[in-house]
Amino acid sequence: MLKELDPILHSQLRLAVVSILVGVKQAEFSYLKEKTNSTAGNISVQLQKLKEANYIEIEKSFKDNYPQTVCKITKTGVKAFEAYVEAIQNYLKPKKK
Amino acid sequence: MKTTLQSELSENLSAEKSFETINAMISIAKNKLADDGFLFIFWGWLVCFSSLFHYVFIKLNFKGGEYVWALMPLGGIFSMVYAIKQNKKDTVKTYVDDYLKYLWIAFGISLIIVLISMSENGIKNTYFFLMVLYGFATMVSGGILNFRPLIIGSILAFACALASNYFGTSEQLLWISLSLICSYIIPGHMLRNQHKSEINA
Repeated sequence: MLKELDPILHSQLRLAVVSILVGVKQAEFSYLKEKTNSTAGNISVQLQKLKEANYIEIEKSFKDNYPQTVCKITKTGVKAFEAYVEAIQNYLKPKKK
Repeated sequence: MKTTLQSELSENLSAEKSFETINAMISIAKNKLADDGFLFIFWGWLVCFSSLFHYVFIKLNFKGGEYVWALMPLGGIFSMVYAIKQNKKDTVKTYVDDYLKYLWIAFGISLIIVLISMSENGIKNTYFFLMVLYGFATMVSGGILNFRPLIIGSILAFACALASNYFGTSEQLLWISLSLICSYIIPGHMLRNQHKSEINA
Protein backbone atom coordinates (compact mmCIF):
# COMPACT_ATOMS: atom_id res chain seq x y z
CA MET A 1 0.00 0.00 0.00
CA LEU A 2 1.30 3.43 -0.90
CA LYS A 3 1.99 5.91 1.88
CA GLU A 4 0.26 9.25 1.91
CA LEU A 5 2.25 12.11 0.56
CA ASP A 6 2.74 15.46 2.27
CA PRO A 7 1.22 18.11 -0.02
CA ILE A 8 3.35 20.85 1.56
CA LEU A 9 6.53 19.18 0.32
CA HIS A 10 5.13 17.85 -2.92
CA SER A 11 5.79 21.05 -4.80
CA GLN A 12 9.06 21.45 -6.65
CA LEU A 13 10.07 24.80 -5.20
CA ARG A 14 9.11 24.01 -1.61
CA LEU A 15 10.84 20.63 -1.88
CA ALA A 16 13.95 22.32 -3.27
CA VAL A 17 14.02 24.84 -0.40
CA VAL A 18 13.59 22.16 2.27
CA SER A 19 16.22 19.94 0.57
CA ILE A 20 18.72 22.80 0.82
CA LEU A 21 17.82 23.73 4.39
CA VAL A 22 18.02 20.14 5.62
CA GLY A 23 21.76 20.11 4.85
CA VAL A 24 22.74 23.52 6.22
CA LYS A 25 22.45 25.41 9.48
CA GLN A 26 20.74 28.40 7.91
CA ALA A 27 20.42 30.12 4.54
CA GLU A 28 19.57 33.63 3.47
CA PHE A 29 16.65 34.40 1.20
CA SER A 30 19.03 35.52 -1.57
CA TYR A 31 20.88 32.18 -1.42
CA LEU A 32 17.67 30.15 -1.66
CA LYS A 33 16.43 32.32 -4.51
CA GLU A 34 19.68 31.90 -6.44
CA LYS A 35 20.04 28.14 -5.90
CA THR A 36 16.43 27.35 -6.73
CA ASN A 37 16.52 29.69 -9.69
CA SER A 38 13.17 31.21 -8.78
CA THR A 39 11.69 34.69 -8.56
CA ALA A 40 11.55 36.67 -5.32
CA GLY A 41 7.76 36.74 -5.38
CA ASN A 42 7.35 33.02 -5.92
CA ILE A 43 9.87 31.98 -3.30
CA SER A 44 8.38 34.41 -0.75
CA VAL A 45 4.98 32.74 -1.12
CA GLN A 46 6.47 29.25 -0.80
CA LEU A 47 8.57 30.19 2.24
CA GLN A 48 5.47 31.55 3.90
CA LYS A 49 3.63 28.27 3.28
CA LEU A 50 6.52 26.30 4.77
CA LYS A 51 6.55 28.63 7.76
CA GLU A 52 2.80 28.22 8.29
CA ALA A 53 3.30 24.44 8.30
CA ASN A 54 6.03 24.98 10.95
CA TYR A 55 8.59 23.33 8.65
CA ILE A 56 10.89 26.33 8.66
CA GLU A 57 11.69 29.35 10.81
CA ILE A 58 12.14 32.74 9.23
CA GLU A 59 14.15 35.46 10.96
CA LYS A 60 14.12 38.98 9.61
CA SER A 61 16.87 41.44 10.52
CA PHE A 62 19.17 44.04 8.97
CA LYS A 63 22.63 43.48 7.54
CA ASP A 64 24.62 46.57 6.52
CA ASN A 65 21.38 48.58 6.50
CA TYR A 66 19.70 46.12 4.13
CA PRO A 67 16.86 43.83 5.19
CA GLN A 68 17.99 40.25 5.64
CA THR A 69 15.81 37.16 5.76
CA VAL A 70 17.33 34.00 7.20
CA CYS A 71 15.62 30.61 6.99
CA LYS A 72 16.24 27.51 9.12
CA ILE A 73 14.57 24.13 9.02
CA THR A 74 12.68 23.04 12.18
CA LYS A 75 12.53 19.57 13.74
CA THR A 76 9.02 19.19 12.32
CA GLY A 77 10.43 20.10 8.91
CA VAL A 78 13.20 17.51 9.17
CA LYS A 79 10.72 14.79 10.16
CA ALA A 80 8.36 15.73 7.33
CA PHE A 81 11.25 15.69 4.86
CA GLU A 82 12.43 12.26 6.04
CA ALA A 83 8.90 10.89 5.74
CA TYR A 84 8.57 12.38 2.25
CA VAL A 85 11.89 10.86 1.12
CA GLU A 86 10.85 7.48 2.50
CA ALA A 87 7.53 7.64 0.64
CA ILE A 88 9.27 8.53 -2.62
CA GLN A 89 11.87 5.77 -2.11
CA ASN A 90 9.12 3.21 -1.59
CA TYR A 91 7.44 4.35 -4.75
CA LEU A 92 10.67 4.11 -6.75
CA LYS A 93 11.53 0.63 -5.44
CA PRO A 94 11.01 -2.05 -8.09
CA LYS A 95 7.70 -3.82 -7.42
CA LYS A 96 7.87 -7.50 -6.40
CA LYS A 97 5.96 -9.78 -8.69
CA MET B 1 -5.36 17.28 3.77
CA LYS B 2 -3.16 14.52 2.43
CA THR B 3 -3.39 12.94 -0.96
CA THR B 4 -2.16 9.56 -2.06
CA LEU B 5 1.24 9.37 -3.65
CA GLN B 6 -0.12 7.87 -6.81
CA SER B 7 -2.62 10.64 -7.50
CA GLU B 8 -0.05 13.34 -6.67
CA LEU B 9 2.60 11.75 -8.83
CA SER B 10 0.29 11.60 -11.76
CA GLU B 11 0.11 15.40 -11.58
CA ASN B 12 2.95 17.81 -12.22
CA LEU B 13 5.72 16.38 -10.03
CA SER B 14 6.84 12.81 -10.68
CA ALA B 15 8.68 10.64 -8.14
CA GLU B 16 11.79 10.75 -10.33
CA LYS B 17 11.60 14.53 -10.56
CA SER B 18 11.16 14.79 -6.78
CA PHE B 19 14.20 12.63 -6.21
CA GLU B 20 16.19 14.60 -8.76
CA THR B 21 15.28 17.85 -7.01
CA ILE B 22 16.25 16.51 -3.59
CA ASN B 23 19.60 15.19 -4.84
CA ALA B 24 20.43 18.36 -6.75
CA MET B 25 19.63 20.66 -3.86
CA ILE B 26 21.39 18.58 -1.21
CA SER B 27 24.55 18.42 -3.30
CA ILE B 28 24.62 22.23 -3.62
CA ALA B 29 25.34 22.71 0.06
CA LYS B 30 27.39 19.52 0.41
CA ASN B 31 29.85 20.57 -2.27
CA LYS B 32 30.49 23.99 -0.82
CA LEU B 33 34.10 23.97 0.38
CA ALA B 34 33.81 25.81 3.67
CA ASP B 35 37.39 27.07 3.80
CA ASP B 36 39.07 29.26 1.18
CA GLY B 37 42.55 28.46 2.56
CA PHE B 38 43.47 32.11 2.98
CA LEU B 39 44.13 31.98 6.73
CA PHE B 40 46.22 28.83 6.37
CA ILE B 41 48.40 30.62 3.82
CA PHE B 42 48.51 33.86 5.84
CA TRP B 43 49.50 32.19 9.13
CA GLY B 44 51.76 29.70 7.40
CA TRP B 45 53.87 32.40 5.80
CA LEU B 46 53.72 34.77 8.78
CA VAL B 47 54.95 32.22 11.34
CA CYS B 48 57.37 30.58 8.89
CA PHE B 49 58.94 33.97 8.12
CA SER B 50 59.07 34.91 11.82
CA SER B 51 60.74 31.62 12.77
CA LEU B 52 63.36 31.95 10.06
CA PHE B 53 63.94 35.62 10.92
CA HIS B 54 64.44 34.73 14.58
CA TYR B 55 66.75 31.84 13.66
CA VAL B 56 68.93 34.02 11.42
CA PHE B 57 69.21 36.68 14.15
CA ILE B 58 70.33 34.04 16.67
CA LYS B 59 72.90 32.57 14.29
CA LEU B 60 74.29 35.99 13.40
CA ASN B 61 74.38 36.96 17.10
CA PHE B 62 72.07 39.90 16.46
CA LYS B 63 69.92 41.05 19.33
CA GLY B 64 66.17 41.54 19.27
CA GLY B 65 65.20 38.73 16.88
CA GLU B 66 62.44 37.70 19.27
CA TYR B 67 60.63 40.98 18.65
CA VAL B 68 59.44 39.55 15.34
CA TRP B 69 56.85 37.59 17.36
CA ALA B 70 55.15 40.90 18.12
CA LEU B 71 53.62 40.44 14.66
CA MET B 72 51.47 37.59 16.00
CA PRO B 73 48.88 39.66 17.91
CA LEU B 74 48.59 41.88 14.82
CA GLY B 75 48.04 38.75 12.74
CA GLY B 76 45.41 37.64 15.24
CA ILE B 77 43.51 40.93 14.91
CA PHE B 78 43.76 40.77 11.11
CA SER B 79 42.46 37.16 11.12
CA MET B 80 39.50 38.08 13.29
CA VAL B 81 38.56 41.00 11.04
CA TYR B 82 38.93 38.77 7.97
CA ALA B 83 36.80 35.99 9.50
CA ILE B 84 34.05 38.43 10.55
CA LYS B 85 33.98 39.97 7.04
CA GLN B 86 33.82 36.54 5.41
CA ASN B 87 31.07 35.51 7.78
CA LYS B 88 29.04 38.58 6.85
CA LYS B 89 29.52 37.84 3.15
CA ASP B 90 28.27 34.25 3.41
CA THR B 91 24.62 33.87 2.53
CA VAL B 92 24.54 30.30 3.80
CA LYS B 93 25.94 28.75 6.97
CA THR B 94 26.66 25.06 7.08
CA TYR B 95 27.35 22.89 10.13
CA VAL B 96 30.87 22.49 8.77
CA ASP B 97 31.33 26.27 9.17
CA ASP B 98 30.33 25.88 12.81
CA TYR B 99 32.67 22.94 13.48
CA LEU B 100 35.57 24.84 11.94
CA LYS B 101 34.76 27.98 13.91
CA TYR B 102 34.90 26.13 17.23
CA LEU B 103 38.01 24.19 16.20
CA TRP B 104 39.94 27.40 15.47
CA ILE B 105 38.65 29.16 18.59
CA ALA B 106 39.85 26.17 20.67
CA PHE B 107 43.16 26.20 18.77
CA GLY B 108 43.62 29.95 19.39
CA ILE B 109 42.90 29.59 23.11
CA SER B 110 45.30 26.61 23.38
CA LEU B 111 47.97 28.58 21.56
CA ILE B 112 47.61 31.56 23.90
CA ILE B 113 47.76 29.28 26.97
CA VAL B 114 50.92 27.59 25.66
CA LEU B 115 52.54 30.96 24.89
CA ILE B 116 51.73 32.63 28.20
CA SER B 117 53.02 29.55 30.01
CA MET B 118 56.34 29.74 28.16
CA SER B 119 58.27 30.98 31.20
CA GLU B 120 57.07 27.95 33.20
CA ASN B 121 57.54 25.31 30.51
CA GLY B 122 60.65 26.64 28.82
CA ILE B 123 61.23 27.56 25.17
CA LYS B 124 61.94 24.01 24.01
CA ASN B 125 58.67 22.59 25.33
CA THR B 126 56.76 25.58 24.02
CA TYR B 127 58.09 25.15 20.48
CA PHE B 128 57.28 21.45 20.68
CA PHE B 129 53.69 22.12 21.82
CA LEU B 130 53.23 24.69 19.05
CA MET B 131 54.02 22.09 16.39
CA VAL B 132 51.76 19.52 18.06
CA LEU B 133 48.95 22.09 18.05
CA TYR B 134 49.52 22.89 14.36
CA GLY B 135 49.30 19.19 13.57
CA PHE B 136 46.22 18.70 15.74
CA ALA B 137 44.21 21.60 14.27
CA THR B 138 45.25 20.77 10.72
CA MET B 139 44.29 17.12 11.04
CA VAL B 140 40.85 17.93 12.47
CA SER B 141 40.13 20.58 9.85
CA GLY B 142 41.37 18.21 7.13
CA GLY B 143 38.92 15.59 8.41
CA ILE B 144 36.02 18.05 8.62
CA LEU B 145 36.69 19.38 5.13
CA ASN B 146 37.52 15.91 3.81
CA PHE B 147 40.71 17.39 2.35
CA ARG B 148 43.55 14.88 2.29
CA PRO B 149 46.51 17.31 1.84
CA LEU B 150 45.69 18.85 5.24
CA ILE B 151 45.67 15.42 6.87
CA ILE B 152 49.01 14.49 5.29
CA GLY B 153 50.39 17.90 6.29
CA SER B 154 49.28 17.37 9.87
CA ILE B 155 51.10 14.02 10.07
CA LEU B 156 54.26 15.75 8.84
CA ALA B 157 53.78 18.49 11.47
CA PHE B 158 53.58 15.80 14.18
CA ALA B 159 56.76 14.23 12.76
CA CYS B 160 58.48 17.66 12.86
CA ALA B 161 57.43 18.07 16.51
CA LEU B 162 58.93 14.68 17.40
CA ALA B 163 62.12 15.25 15.42
CA SER B 164 62.64 18.68 17.00
CA ASN B 165 63.08 17.03 20.41
CA TYR B 166 66.55 15.95 19.28
CA PHE B 167 67.70 19.47 18.41
CA GLY B 168 68.47 22.68 20.26
CA THR B 169 65.96 25.51 20.71
CA SER B 170 67.32 27.60 17.82
CA GLU B 171 67.12 24.63 15.42
CA GLN B 172 63.58 24.03 16.62
CA LEU B 173 62.72 27.27 14.86
CA LEU B 174 63.68 25.58 11.59
CA TRP B 175 61.45 22.63 12.47
CA ILE B 176 58.58 25.05 13.13
CA SER B 177 59.10 26.58 9.68
CA LEU B 178 59.17 23.14 8.07
CA SER B 179 56.05 22.02 9.96
CA LEU B 180 54.20 25.10 8.71
CA ILE B 181 55.31 24.58 5.12
CA CYS B 182 53.93 21.02 5.33
CA SER B 183 50.75 21.63 7.31
CA TYR B 184 49.69 25.19 6.41
CA ILE B 185 51.41 26.62 3.36
CA ILE B 186 51.28 23.76 0.84
CA PRO B 187 47.80 22.44 1.82
CA GLY B 188 46.57 26.03 2.19
CA HIS B 189 47.52 26.85 -1.41
CA MET B 190 45.95 23.59 -2.60
CA LEU B 191 42.78 24.38 -0.65
CA ARG B 192 42.66 27.87 -2.12
CA ASN B 193 43.07 26.54 -5.67
CA GLN B 194 40.28 24.00 -5.16
CA HIS B 195 38.04 26.63 -3.59
CA LYS B 196 38.62 28.98 -6.54
CA SER B 197 37.94 26.27 -9.09
CA GLU B 198 34.68 25.35 -7.31
CA ILE B 199 33.56 28.98 -7.34
CA ASN B 200 34.37 29.33 -11.04
CA ALA B 201 32.75 25.99 -11.92
